[in-house]
Amino acid sequence: MQQSILMLFLGLLAISTIVFTYVYQSSQKATDLDRGMANPLKSRFWFLLILFVILGIFASVTIPKSPYYFYADETPSRVVHVAAKQFAFVLSNNAIDPKNPVGENAIELLENELVEFRVTSFDVNHGFAIYNKAGQLIAQTQAMPGYVNKLRWKFSEPGAYSILCLEYCGMAHQIMRSSFTVK
Amino acid sequence: METLKLRKITSVWIIIVLTLFVVAIVLGILMRLNQGEIIQQSPITFYGNMTTHGLTMIGIWFVAGMAAVNYLLERYVKTSYAANLFALVLTVIGVLMLWCSTFIGEFHAGWTFLYPLPFKIMWAEWATPLFLSSLGVLGLGWLVWSISLMAQILKKYSISQAFAWQHFHKNPKVETPPFILITMITLIGVIACLIAAVILLILFFIEYFSTGSFVNDALLMKNLTYFFGHTIANEMLYLGLAVIYELFAEVSGRPKWHTTWYVALAWNLSLIFILTAFFHHLYMDFVQPEGLQIIGQIASYLASLPAAGVTVFSILVAVYRNKINWSLTNLLFFIGVAGWVIGGLGAVIDATISNNFILHNTLWVPAHFHTYNAMGNVLFSLAFFHWFSNQYYHHKERQNTLKLSILLIGGAGFLLAFYIGGAESIPRRYSTYPSDLPMGATLASIAALFASLYLIAILIFFFNISKKCLKILSSSPQSS
Ligand code: HEM
Ligand SMILES: [Cu+2]
Repeated sequence: MQQSILMLFLGLLAISTIVFTYVYQSSQKATDLDRGMANPLKSRFWFLLILFVILGIFASVTIPKSPYYFYADETPSRVVHVAAKQFAFVLSNNAIDPKNPVGENAIELLENELVEFRVTSFDVNHGFAIYNKAGQLIAQTQAMPGYVNKLRWKFSEPGAYSILCLEYCGMAHQIMRSSFTVK
Repeated sequence: METLKLRKITSVWIIIVLTLFVVAIVLGILMRLNQGEIIQQSPITFYGNMTTHGLTMIGIWFVAGMAAVNYLLERYVKTSYAANLFALVLTVIGVLMLWCSTFIGEFHAGWTFLYPLPFKIMWAEWATPLFLSSLGVLGLGWLVWSISLMAQILKKYSISQAFAWQHFHKNPKVETPPFILITMITLIGVIACLIAAVILLILFFIEYFSTGSFVNDALLMKNLTYFFGHTIANEMLYLGLAVIYELFAEVSGRPKWHTTWYVALAWNLSLIFILTAFFHHLYMDFVQPEGLQIIGQIASYLASLPAAGVTVFSILVAVYRNKINWSLTNLLFFIGVAGWVIGGLGAVIDATISNNFILHNTLWVPAHFHTYNAMGNVLFSLAFFHWFSNQYYHHKERQNTLKLSILLIGGAGFLLAFYIGGAESIPRRYSTYPSDLPMGATLASIAALFASLYLIAILIFFFNISKKCLKILSSSPQSS
């Protein structure tokens, strides 16, 4: 997914660069007789209309794919409670007590089961980001004090997954992490 | 017309901005070197530098835009020298306080100082109140300056004229110059976000002094933080655009731009989109009401329409097959608009909730905002600085191609490393990268190299422009 996003961006980057270079060169070749664009108002109108349609299509395709709607009509077969605290994550099968935050030593999930992560924080804002074996970010939500963010996900591949903190939380933010396995 | 006093204070602004810019770039390069494991800094030093870099950059490019707008506004209305000076003094004091809190007090909560991080003291006790007060000082100076500029506009133009509403009718009797319209729209955004910052600071201080009896709501504070942070970062770009509307045609030897109904409509609409797009910073907070999330995506998309369809298109129309007197000034404007467009494309991609799910807080974020800052807004301001100082001390422009090439190559390489890092899921704001993400360090070293090229180009601009500004400062009324 990230790779196709990068390709899309590089494509758009190339198009913009070509347009700006072309327009610049057209002005260098221009003489006093040149009158610029033939009918700028009409071209402007078409340009805007096309842009509007493209963005409209993009929005209607992507908005339903937002994480808030993931498996919304299914019941999760597994709930994992997550509490973040400078600078570690506590993962548990049961609700976590803020006064005594202890969790499981190891969390094992099943391939293709619907898991709901209930993510909160006991101090500052943190991020809860799941990375696969290949080091690719596959899902995330924020860990915010006083709130519980629910992230639903099905893991289609077994293996070891890492959790990284993706919201800056202080001097050990870069080493705040955890892990779990999918069987 | 402009007075000698205004000319001098504008020169002072320019020298301050460029000097702080060089320092802030050096901090940026140090960060990339540390992430590239070429140097070893403690995480505290790294995050302190990150905080200083971020806030200094936001501050200087905001005031650079304001100083330019103030200078050009004098063509239409009388502006207040006292307000300008007040903002200058408070900016200097604010920056000194900020640097004390980060360099000496080791405060390092990031430029967004997201609640409640500033209260989890991992630095000198006094650094948190000093940091928050430095923001208060900066905010006060800027608020007074913005309100003063807006008041001067409203003395000459009625509210509906300042918004160019008369252009929605056929054959309006008076024309609102585009510069006035954009400045007005931008100042409203600026004032709105500075007021949000004041509320945010008050909430911080109430909790700070209540010693536990009052606790803020983290979600509300996050909304306020990003309403402020996102809006100010965007409005400073719009200040740059106002300058382009005023100067691009003039320096290019083309007829002045006029306000038409679609220019008026576009800018009025952007005000709404700009003030609601910030919701895209909270996409990953699933507890935020869903409606606001959708508004975030739609407003972010819509914000690109007036920008692309009116401003960018106008620049392209102005240049396409027209004879232009190209100089460093309009070249910088033109390239800057390209940089702004490219950064904007990266932003629209990230403002898509389903993409944000895997890009949020990766290097994709600094990638796109550095694009429209380092290759967009900075160039707008450099163009103004160059044009401004050249009015009084004109030197023959030499080696423009060389200067611009170094800037472009350096900037492009530095930015590309961020984009690739984002696509490689490398987190932002990591002092060093974990060993299972080895690309992070490699990309950072490459970026440090290219950023040094960018710095070289900036140093050349810095010397050329500051030299002329110093001459302006020492000039007496007779000699001008
Ligand atoms: C060549 C010049 C520049 C270099 C080398 C540079 C470098 C950096 C680096 C390495 C970071 C940290 C990235 C991370 O999250 O890991 C950063 C963050 C940032 N930069 Fe720059 N930057 C440059 C120019 C600019 C400009 C022109 C602006 C103007 C607004 C800017 C504003 C920021 C901000 C706001 C942050 C975020 C700080 C934070 O996360 O708290 N930078 N920069
Ligand atoms: Cu963290």
